[in-house]
Amino acid sequence: MHASLNKKALLVATIVTLGCVVISFYGSRKLQNFDPALIAYLFGTLFALFGGIYRYCVWLQRPPTWMYFRRTWQFIFKGSFFVHIWLLLEDSVKNLLFQRFIYPRGKKRWFAHFMLASGCLAAFAITIPLTLGWINFTLDPGTALDPGAVKLYNANFFGFKVMSFKLGSVLAFLIFHALTWCSWAVIAGAVIFFVRRLTNAGLIASQTFEGDLLPLILLIIISVTGLGLNFSYAFMKGMAYDFMSVTHAISVILFLVWIPFGKFFHIIQRPAQIGAHIYKREGKKRGMAVCPHTGKEFTTQLHVNDLKIVTKQVGFDFTLEDGSSHLDYSPEGKRSLLAKAHLKARQEGGSFFG
Amino acid sequence: MAKLPVSPEKIIEDFGPHLNFTPTEGYPGRDEPDATVKTHCCFCGMQCGIQLLVKNNKVVGFEPWMEFPFNEGRLCPKGVQRYLQDNHPDRLLDPLERVEGKGFKPVSWDTALDRVTAEIQRIQQAYGKDAFSILSGVSLTNEKSYLMGKFARVAVKTSNLDYNGRLCMVSAGAGNKKAFGLDRTSNNYTDLAHAEVIIVAGANVSETFPTLTYWIWRARDNGAKLIVVDPRVIPLARTADIHLPIKPGTDSALYGAMLKYLVDHDMLDHDFINNHTTGFDETIAAVKDYTLEWAEQVTGIEKEKIEQAAAMWGKASTSFLLHARGIEHHSKGVENVLGCINLVLATGRIGRPYCGYGTITGQGNGQGGREHGHKCDQLPGNRDITNPEHRKYIAGVWGIPESELPGKGLTAYELIEAIHRGEVKGLLSICFNPLVSLPNNNYVREALEKLEFYVAIDFFLNETARHADIILAGSLHEEEEGTVTTAEGRVVRIRAAVSPPANARTDTSIILDLAARLGAADKFTYKDSEAIFNELRIASKGGTANYYGITYKKIEDNMGVFWPCPSEDHPGTPRLWEDKKFATPDGKAHFNPVHYRDPGEVTDEEYPVVLTTGRVVSQYLSGTQTRRIGKLVGLIPEPLLEIHPELAMKYGIRQREMVKVSTRRGTGEFPANIVETIRKDTVFIPYHWPGRKSANQLTIGTLDPVSKIPEFKVCACKLEPLGVISRPGETTAFDSI
Amino acid sequence: MEVTAYKTDMEFFVDMQRCIGCKACEMACAECETNGQESMIHVNYVERAVTIQTTVQVCMHCDDPVCAKVCPADAISKDDFGVVHSANTSRCIGCSNCVMACPFGVPIKEEKYDMMMKCNMCYDRTSAGKKPMCATVCPSQALFYGTREEISRMRPNSTPVNTFVFGEQVVTTKVNIMMPKGSTQLKVH
Ligand code: SF4
Ligand code: SF4
Ligand code: SF4
Repeated sequence: MHASLNKKALLVATIVTLGCVVISFYGSRKLQNFDPALIAYLFGTLFALFGGIYRYCVWLQRPPTWMYFRRTWQFIFKGSFFVHIWLLLEDSVKNLLFQRFIYPRGKKRWFAHFMLASGCLAAFAITIPLTLGWINFTLDPGTALDPGAVKLYNANFFGFKVMSFKLGSVLAFLIFHALTWCSWAVIAGAVIFFVRRLTNAGLIASQTFEGDLLPLILLIIISVTGLGLNFSYAFMKGMAYDFMSVTHAISVILFLVWIPFGKFFHIIQRPAQIGAHIYKREGKKRGMAVCPHTGKEFTTQLHVNDLKIVTKQVGFDFTLEDGSSHLDYSPEGKRSLLAKAHLKARQEGGSFFG
Repeated sequence: MAKLPVSPEKIIEDFGPHLNFTPTEGYPGRDEPDATVKTHCCFCGMQCGIQLLVKNNKVVGFEPWMEFPFNEGRLCPKGVQRYLQDNHPDRLLDPLERVEGKGFKPVSWDTALDRVTAEIQRIQQAYGKDAFSILSGVSLTNEKSYLMGKFARVAVKTSNLDYNGRLCMVSAGAGNKKAFGLDRTSNNYTDLAHAEVIIVAGANVSETFPTLTYWIWRARDNGAKLIVVDPRVIPLARTADIHLPIKPGTDSALYGAMLKYLVDHDMLDHDFINNHTTGFDETIAAVKDYTLEWAEQVTGIEKEKIEQAAAMWGKASTSFLLHARGIEHHSKGVENVLGCINLVLATGRIGRPYCGYGTITGQGNGQGGREHGHKCDQLPGNRDITNPEHRKYIAGVWGIPESELPGKGLTAYELIEAIHRGEVKGLLSICFNPLVSLPNNNYVREALEKLEFYVAIDFFLNETARHADIILAGSLHEEEEGTVTTAEGRVVRIRAAVSPPANARTDTSIILDLAARLGAADKFTYKDSEAIFNELRIASKGGTANYYGITYKKIEDNMGVFWPCPSEDHPGTPRLWEDKKFATPDGKAHFNPVHYRDPGEVTDEEYPVVLTTGRVVSQYLSGTQTRRIGKLVGLIPEPLLEIHPELAMKYGIRQREMVKVSTRRGTGEFPANIVETIRKDTVFIPYHWPGRKSANQLTIGTLDPVSKIPEFKVCACKLEPLGVISRPGETTAFDSI
Repeated sequence: MEVTAYKTDMEFFVDMQRCIGCKACEMACAECETNGQESMIHVNYVERAVTIQTTVQVCMHCDDPVCAKVCPADAISKDDFGVVHSANTSRCIGCSNCVMACPFGVPIKEEKYDMMMKCNMCYDRTSAGKKPMCATVCPSQALFYGTREEISRMRPNSTPVNTFVFGEQVVTTKVNIMMPKGSTQLKVH
């Protein structure tokens, strides 16, 4: 079964990656706009894409994941589509862009994560299209030839001009230094997390080096060398430029290659949280499950029913003699049932102690 | 005079109770504390060992103390959360003076102490020495307890000093003195481990002394049978071999009938009775009519069960009998205790391994505190203030003529009555919150309002102190060195983990300062707590509670020393009476005849239901400390009225419906908790809360004629459903007014 | 952590009939450094209207943890010592599958964090060779953490059992429940 699942994933990943190559080929006007200096990054990106899609597909095929995936789209396309899309957008902004769910765990923690996430996401948004040749900047031919004119830059997307700005303007400054801002944000977030991981006893006990510390170190290296490149170019006449560019490239490529397998996969996974919200909202509309022991509502009936299917798919069968299921009971009900069974066993054994 | 200066709401806003929670990631510094201080929990007589983690002069957490022999790291929820009383926003940081219409304003120590001194002198000059009274408490260390006794008699020169142990262990103390000539539990708790039968009478061990459960469960692992006497199925009773659901106020009938059963079936240790006791014949004569049938009628317990219990007790070769406030908080408290002791003496099972008896002392230092002198009739070493020999000895230690040593004063509740009558005009209280803890507290409030001057020493503004003219910001348990004596009679060390914050001062320094201002500086020259303890050792020397051989070092080296310990080379006495030489004048244990009589108030047509009170696991006494700790309040946020479904049905009361409970003294409204785990004729309300949520609005001030303990555990009430269902969390009992 | 002082001869033994419902364990659990002042242990009345019985439940650390299997986000993992860890915070999507599927009713959905949390046997303490907080403080020793020899010496008439029957399903666990001598399993249904 596993082999066939992986085949599916392989297929999807290959198709998407090839699709991306094709788009990039034409998007860069048959490689005309492509920056050859970025070739290593290009392969890294393509690998990350391939690996990410592959892993995502494997992941989706796990029964509980598939159940949520399926239900989410079912609910979105059933009934009030636009309401769903609106809620989806709202949820995405709150939880994906601003990661609001982290806030209650600690303000500082949220701040660090927000900096880290915004920095990374923005940097992706800039570098990936650049690497794939989707975006490029050109000197406006009109102003380029006129020595008296203020130089204008054009930003092109898939070879089409989308905007232009003056060289030396605030906008130009912001655009050309966008990655610098991202780097600072990432450094701020990563350092806060790093210090936390080194000092908080709870984290020290449960973290691993490659799972938790290495990713932070990698991000810090990427950002620092990225900044260093800029700094060296602007103020140090290119000193140590090569060293930094190589370190930068290696760490970025490591990072890219690692996305599908390590800690960073959660970036791709996170939208599923929104699916879980929709599932809960829709489930509630369809009715709540009531625990036969406590007599209280505890989750949606949909959830209970789906879990009966999912547990069977992953190899568990909680069906009881009378046809009902252990899963029909709430967590408190389950605990109480166990305690009652234990009490009975103790009573039958004739003694509570000894 | 001493009405509240502003509305209670305003006082609560300023001084709490507010709830303290640990920040999500713990207090800063918990992972790298400056110090890990081995000390004890302050919240009951078990005095469980605990280590406090200290950073920058703040207690930031705790770590179990695995080596301390009684609890080996085990704690109850109060112990786990005890560190939160430090770092508390309600902590008093300055002396306060009452400002009419405004509340309380911080003043300097000089202003505050000058005023206190002047008022004590004014009142005593105008009305006599005894018109100024002192109420103390046994959450104080031995050193402070001793100091309070000396301060009252030597500096203030009043005879009217008593303490909150009067609401606690006095019945047991009086009973023990009558029977054994000494007031201490006879055995340490390791003697439970191999007892064949254990009786727990009126002691909700699992909620009030949770860590003692361990030793009882251990005994049961070793095959012990457990008999629990309680009107409710308390957690201990659920798995007990026999549960005797007694009607409140009828305890002595049960023990009388059990004694008669032992006599009738000759389950007696004649040898022990003949050689080591007196009074047996009168005692059995008193119970000769107490048949099982009669007992069933009086106590409401099926006679078969009583018989079973008596037979089980009679046949055992080792045993342990434990009791607590459930049988002691009665107008017959001493008699109930004597009834229990008679059962122990009749079977001769005392003074041997795994043969034990004792009261489970409730308050933090209930044991040590009651031995060393803030009891109105007592002098250090458990001496008698009316005994000329004893007076002479202590007067000598204190360096005053015997004639200047005041005599016996009024007991706590009598003192309140004297204030109410206008005979006593001034009050200093420390570590006592009578407005919550005394019965019939509407009456107590009236009394407080009549005081001409009231000064309270406390670290939080407790409900009673809201009536004060001056409040002196004192110290917490973890802010002063000292010793306490656990319920087992083990003297242990309390460590100063931190020093009092801001302008708060240690209780000791406040008392010493006051003593000096009252002109007794030369009698109070201690350089530290150990110096006080060393004087206490001498003062207790030759008394029954003899601490002479106990030193700080010895305590530290041995993780506690059991008194009596008459000399420095004496190892202490974990088990009493091994030599069968009792501390009575004739050296024998005394049987005492107990005739059954009714409690102070019985049910009638108007007030047909029995009301009893007690505690919950997450609160300590009047709650001054524990009602400020967020998670403890969260566990049990409010007092519920426990009521049996049949009784509830009779009045049409529904689950969580508000019920108006009235007695001849007051009324209160409580949500009903309908449970089958209580007698059908009895309702139960826990007493830790103040104001409208206070169970003590309802209780009765009938006193035991000997011990003067009030009858908290039984009175008559009536019930009236109010038709409103209260949802959990709707009432804010912690700040009730 | 790679370096660990986890003692493999120490095991968890639970006997809910000894529980007195004091909730010391609950208070202490929140002190565990991995829990951020939230308690992961459960103490509840079984049926308060008729009995004072309480029960206590820690994570049983199943040999084949259902919670991990039903997690759509791969957030729950079992380590080499058999400890099933709390959800990986970066992965957990707060769907509650584990909460509803765990046969022992253990995981908790922390609504305010939109995340599941569960008992990890005080990994900060056990990995340092200490006992878990709950079992350290429990005054009734309904929660006992120690060696098999210790428990069999102290409670010779009970047998630790780690096999549980829920209808068709048999679940085996790392944590033991103390049963009458000679028992081999606890049949819940
Ligand atoms: S049993 Fe008593 S001394 Fe021990 S932790 Fe609880 S309140 Fe503190
Ligand atoms: S007891 Fe529940 S939470 Fe613990 S490992 Fe088993 S399934 Fe998971
Ligand atoms: S600490 Fe022990 S006795 Fe108390 S509730 Fe927890 S398991 Fe039960």
